[in-house]
Amino acid sequence: MGKLLLRGVLALAMVLVMVPAAMADEFTKEDLAKWERDFMAVVEEGDRLFHSALGSNAVSCDMCHPNATNTHPETYPKVQKQLGKVASLRDMVNWCIKNPLEGEGMELAADDPKMIALEAYMHYERRGVPLAPGKH
Amino acid sequence: MKCTMAIRVSVILSIMAFALPVLSAPLPLGLPPVPIPADNPQTPEKIALGKQLYEDKRFSSDGTVACANCHLPEKAFVDGLPVSEGVGQQKGTRNSPTVINAVYFKEQFWDGRRPSLEEQAKDPFINPVEHGLESHDPIVEIVQTDPDYVTQFEKVFGLKAADITIDHVVKAIASFERTIISGDSPFDRYQYGGDKTAMSEAAIRGLEVYLDKGRCQSCHTIGEQDALFTNNDYHNLGVGFAKIEPRMMEIVTAFRKAKATGENVDEKVLTDADVSELGRFAITLRPSDVGKFKTSGLRNIAVTAPYMHDGSLNTLEEVIDLYDRGGEANPMLDGGIRVLNLTDQEKSDLVEFLKHLTSPEYAHLANQK
Amino acid sequence: MSTKVNRRIFLKQLGVAAAMTAVPLNLVEVAWGKEKGENFTFAYISDPHITHISGNKFVKNFDKGLEKAIAEVNFMWPQPDFVVFGGDLAQLGKKEELDHGMEMMSKLTVPVKYVIGEHDYYLDLGQYWEEKISKLYYSFDHKGVHFVVLNSILTDDDWTHKRWPTAMERMLQMARLDNPNGSPFMVKEKQRQWLKQDLAKVDKNTPVVVMSHSPLYKVYKGWNFWTEDAEEVQALLKPFKKVTVLHGHVHQIMYNQIGNISFHAMMSTGWPWPYPVSYSQAANMVPKMTVFMNRADPFHERDATGWSAINLENGRVVNNLELWQNTPRSVRFDEKAKHPVDSQYQDPANQIPPQVHY
Repeated sequence: MGKLLLRGVLALAMVLVMVPAAMADEFTKEDLAKWERDFMAVVEEGDRLFHSALGSNAVSCDMCHPNATNTHPETYPKVQKQLGKVASLRDMVNWCIKNPLEGEGMELAADDPKMIALEAYMHYERRGVPLAPGKH
Repeated sequence: MKCTMAIRVSVILSIMAFALPVLSAPLPLGLPPVPIPADNPQTPEKIALGKQLYEDKRFSSDGTVACANCHLPEKAFVDGLPVSEGVGQQKGTRNSPTVINAVYFKEQFWDGRRPSLEEQAKDPFINPVEHGLESHDPIVEIVQTDPDYVTQFEKVFGLKAADITIDHVVKAIASFERTIISGDSPFDRYQYGGDKTAMSEAAIRGLEVYLDKGRCQSCHTIGEQDALFTNNDYHNLGVGFAKIEPRMMEIVTAFRKAKATGENVDEKVLTDADVSELGRFAITLRPSDVGKFKTSGLRNIAVTAPYMHDGSLNTLEEVIDLYDRGGEANPMLDGGIRVLNLTDQEKSDLVEFLKHLTSPEYAHLANQK
Repeated sequence: MSTKVNRRIFLKQLGVAAAMTAVPLNLVEVAWGKEKGENFTFAYISDPHITHISGNKFVKNFDKGLEKAIAEVNFMWPQPDFVVFGGDLAQLGKKEELDHGMEMMSKLTVPVKYVIGEHDYYLDLGQYWEEKISKLYYSFDHKGVHFVVLNSILTDDDWTHKRWPTAMERMLQMARLDNPNGSPFMVKEKQRQWLKQDLAKVDKNTPVVVMSHSPLYKVYKGWNFWTEDAEEVQALLKPFKKVTVLHGHVHQIMYNQIGNISFHAMMSTGWPWPYPVSYSQAANMVPKMTVFMNRADPFHERDATGWSAINLENGRVVNNLELWQNTPRSVRFDEKAKHPVDSQYQDPANQIPPQVHY
């Protein structure tokens, strides 16, 4: 009985929440399709960068991380021993550029479109995986 | 009970002028908790006994060598020599590592041949170029007959004289060594104490080099909460390797045969200069361990020269140059060791940083140089 | 331990204990068991991917991996009877890469049996390899064991000959592991016919060891951990009592049993690959029995890389994995379980703290 009542209240609350939403700014199907295309273009650029030499020695990210596996973006921020602190995925991209890719001085700024594209690609390849910050 | 404990600690404090109490005192800044084995709990009496045993020169073939000979409390627990000297001024093959913070190592000795401080303490007594005894028997005899020791062992371990063994002796020594910890360096105050004025600007730049371009952090680990400056692993830097490289196969084969027939590894490592250079391999016989030595901690590095397993480098500048040129080339060189191209400024900043790792109780040693 | 134990005995005991835990036991057995004539050891080095940058510059890390493996194999005691090279000496099949790699391989003190990988093949379709290094497929006998080397990385004629404007473009396409434009590996009809004839001469009780670059079974097509005509090859091997397939390509510990055939993957000296289970977007068939390699330190250059010392004991392979940043492992055929078993870690309770494979 109590449960039924609770469900009724919840349903009502949902209707109330949805009504104002419908009245706010609307995303049209066209908007969504465009943004999806924009996003996928950046993912594709990230895919291309991920498969190209970003450092000085012809080594590329995909050589160790096919399909961006083992980049596990969902686990950041987390402790990175070699940095001695809790680090972000961007920190690790730059660590890889500097070390295995031997690209000292070729690190990407956090707001560099290339960094954003690489992140977009890695996240896209891990879509649907639950967040697990800090996990090793 | 608490009160008695406090009195005991203060008594110990007055006995051990140089050692830090770890029984109830807060940990020095920058250090993790001291691991204490379940079968060898710390007590003030045991620590005091351990100190006495550590300094007892009777535990050697000619009555001249105590643990404290090569690990001198007044010299930050090293001897300042390239390689240590035992009975009859005999030289070993390895540089004396400091006892300070040795408790945090997962394995002891440069090649990690012993898993604990207790097991480590047994070997030097019966090494011909260290304490030079034939067996542990003379030590046991002394502690079973010296009335002072008999009283103390009874108090510490609840033992009758006849039941004291070498295992009790090394337990006490290890307990003493577990009190030789030190942190609180300017770096610790900067990194973990929130005192941004504790390090000079050059040292702060040096820390940046340490973490980044210098790649020091890959092995000499600084953590988020504390720093031991070691990854507890073994690496080949090529130091001393050139001496054996042309005869490597011969040396390896001879050593393998010797080991298979029960040769004393501890003795071989410290008396045979060639075998010494095999490093970790002498313990594991894994080919990948040839020429590997343990990553030392870096605390008090400025006051514990000379450096490397063979004491072959005298200054921090020389050590940094070694890393800067990518170690000494050899086929077994560790993968992470490579040319760093540090500028002179970066090198001197790095040295400056390393000088900020000295704990207050050893700071006066830096000024002596 | 008694205090009365004399120093020499005390240390002798310690020495023996240390030797027992440190050396793969079977290596020691071989040292004194050679007169039996049956058991022997060979080493297996695979997938160094020597990469040319420009001029005389190569990727140092990959050079060092191969150099280290060679130095270590030369350290083996007793010396192995021979070394198997499991393929992918080069990254892009260039002469510079193959020459540089062979110069390093020449330091080995025992003979080498070569298997070709796709990275060695797809620039000139194996021409330089055949000229300078080895035949692409062949067999030999050693101490009562029949060894077969296959070129398992062939693919469709159409893909090989018609799809790409240049040989280098074809090579680059094949060199990319996660390539949607890739094509599955095959042994193909001609070699299968050859294999059939080769095996016809061999007694069914003779142990057979087949060495290929790709796994001769199907793991994950997306990364070409896959041989399209694997079942046909397996069928040819079916009549034999003891059959083992050793392969490279996957850069990770992996073992399997299909019918009468045991499979072992060999480590890369260059870099490790994630398990296909790490790719959340596609299904895979990674063998359930495989105890995954742990990544001791994913940021160490030698993490999850290494080489193998293989003992042939009574016709069965014992794969002693010499892992540079991880504890060595030993995987051997278990007569009761009827499949390869990790002698230390097969039981989940014995495994090193389990690690998520992303």
